[in-house]
Amino acid sequence: MSGLIAFIASHRVEFAARLGEHIVLVLASTTMAAAIGIPLGVLAARRPALAKPIVALANLGQTIPSLALFGFLIPLPFLGGIGTRTALVALTLYAVLPVLRGTITGIQGVPASVIDCAVAMGLTPRQVLTQIEWPLALPSIVSGLRVAVVIGVGTATIASAIGAGGLGDYIFRGLAMVDSTVILAGAIPAALLALACDGALALAGRIADPRRRSPGMMIALVALVIATTGGALWASGVTSRRDVTVGSKNFTEQIVLGELIAQVIERQGLHVERRFNLGGTAIAHQALVSGGIDAYVEYSGTSLTAIFNLPPSRDANEVFTQIRDRYAALGVTALPRLGYNNTFAILVRAADAQRLGLRTIGDLNRFTGARAGFGYEFLERPDGFTGLSAAYGLNIAGQPRTMDLNLIYRALSSNEIDVTAGDATSGQIESQKLVVLADDRHYFPAYEAVPVVRSALLLRHPQVAGALKRLEGAISDEAMRRMNYAVDGEKQDPFQVVKAFLDRIGGF
Amino acid sequence: MLRDVSIAIGAGETVALVGRSGCGKTTLLRLINRLLEPDSGQIIIDGQASATWDPIALRRSIGYVIQDAGLFPHRTVGSNVATVPRLLEWPEGKISARVDELLSMVGLDPREFRDRWPDQLSGGQRQRVGLARALAADPAVLLMDEPFGAIDAITKAELHTEFKRVQASLRRAVVLVTHDMSEAFALADRIAVMHDGQIAICDVPSVVAASTDPRVSALVAHLRQGSGG
Repeated sequence: MSGLIAFIASHRVEFAARLGEHIVLVLASTTMAAAIGIPLGVLAARRPALAKPIVALANLGQTIPSLALFGFLIPLPFLGGIGTRTALVALTLYAVLPVLRGTITGIQGVPASVIDCAVAMGLTPRQVLTQIEWPLALPSIVSGLRVAVVIGVGTATIASAIGAGGLGDYIFRGLAMVDSTVILAGAIPAALLALACDGALALAGRIADPRRRSPGMMIALVALVIATTGGALWASGVTSRRDVTVGSKNFTEQIVLGELIAQVIERQGLHVERRFNLGGTAIAHQALVSGGIDAYVEYSGTSLTAIFNLPPSRDANEVFTQIRDRYAALGVTALPRLGYNNTFAILVRAADAQRLGLRTIGDLNRFTGARAGFGYEFLERPDGFTGLSAAYGLNIAGQPRTMDLNLIYRALSSNEIDVTAGDATSGQIESQKLVVLADDRHYFPAYEAVPVVRSALLLRHPQVAGALKRLEGAISDEAMRRMNYAVDGEKQDPFQVVKAFLDRIGGF
Repeated sequence: MLRDVSIAIGAGETVALVGRSGCGKTTLLRLINRLLEPDSGQIIIDGQASATWDPIALRRSIGYVIQDAGLFPHRTVGSNVATVPRLLEWPEGKISARVDELLSMVGLDPREFRDRWPDQLSGGQRQRVGLARALAADPAVLLMDEPFGAIDAITKAELHTEFKRVQASLRRAVVLVTHDMSEAFALADRIAVMHDGQIAICDVPSVVAASTDPRVSALVAHLRQGSGG
């Protein structure tokens, strides 16, 4: 716990910004959900024939897993892209259902005799709604809003995966770094925020009850909401002054590389906003092309097969030339490679390797009953599991388990699985006592680290290209593994690790 | 559902509509303040066909009381009674005086009841507030749909007395729907017995009691056996 407090204290400006972003996401999406859900709910309550399709539609939105919904939204024009806007669309979709339900329940729960009397006494339809139905339905609508807000605080943590920021940044970063303090720095404030929002709305519900209403409470609540909104906007705006936005995917090495690019650019006197932990290759690429981020580091082999759908190749230079041309057509510049090759590494526990004499990937056929588990991407990619099995004639029984890339090392070392595909440069290979099986048939193509930057940015700030070119060949496999281990194994702050590295190689 | 119904009600007169469930008595009541619209025929109020009235203005000039009073649960007793005067935008001073006057008239002490909430009242008290609310803007016509239907016998007798006292002083045109023949005999100047969407008879209680029309005598005989419903 003291570690958590120390972490937050040492990251307080960033923490305030993330918390502010989170609050803004939840407040804005809940407000929009209310603006959509309440009128729709009134309409649905009035016309039961409409209620079924409306609720069914809202239900459907609710059933889409949040990460999948973000994925659907990213390619859409206007609504899509990466960043806050897409996150707001998704969060609003999730929040609509509880608001809608609360409104329908509330309006339908007004006793028929009360409505009958109101009409018979000469209230106009609008007066029936505003003076009778609305106040009587309000407690139920507020309950709907409370559910929406609590769901919103939780779901907004996932918005970090598409670059919308928020407390989810810490959760994903912590997962990537296998650092529970960082995870808790996101999770605990998010849980407290959910409780606080729920409490504030419960108070609002009491104020809505005419028997307990008091002007003092009303003023206090309005002041609280204004102060929170203002504070959140201000805090989230602290980091909004930026010249360049640097992204990264969601594992340790990517965060280190993101930090590297960011610090090199910062040393040119520019303001950098970090949008790390984007939820996968497709999201990072889409973000780059749509301008959500200006730069990140991609791997040449991944780019070739997963982004441009070209057949894998083992000729590293040819791969680089191919992707450089493809990127150029998209308005993206592939800068010189950083030096190391982060290919896939087929991993087993050191104990198993010794016991069974496993040395190459082909030796896996001696490991009877081995249970495989891979990251989601490895099962799908053309240079992934299917091709690997064919190339080595592997006969691994049973369907491989899929799991988050950040969990595979721990899953392997804790005997949940027996074989996996990790990053060759992962610091966890050593820290978790794992062994890399040799790819003696050269199945895996080259995965050299390539900074990819929007060409427009390089035109705007020519010094960025110059600085990043100086990173060419600057990172060896060993150097990368050491930085990864410093973060994963020694729990050092990626910022400090990269700073030390840049200071050591000098020239920036 | 209603056919060939014709009935005239004068000021100060209480007419009871009685009959079995589904005979059309509530339908007839709801046609008067245009909660329902007739397919044909007309209702004339204050010398003017109701179809030519603005329905909102018409309803504000007609009092309406229903079985469970239909009080607005989010408003105090005083505020419930003030509903129509507020819609008519009376000055607040006049409204508050009127509320106190009406609460006293229906036998509730304003100081004690004005700021109570509907769910803090007994069934009989709620019905008194319902009556006060219906009378608030001094309507010429008062419609009552089973107003004492859900009330125990002793309280009902009290309310009957109260109603007669109020009606004697205010002299409204009152249409009272009830399935309880004894209530009709107790309160009405004339009783209209409805059967299958038609009025079988509409006359003073003594004539109705003596009627040989089987549709009427069945109801009256039922009453004589001592179970008024």
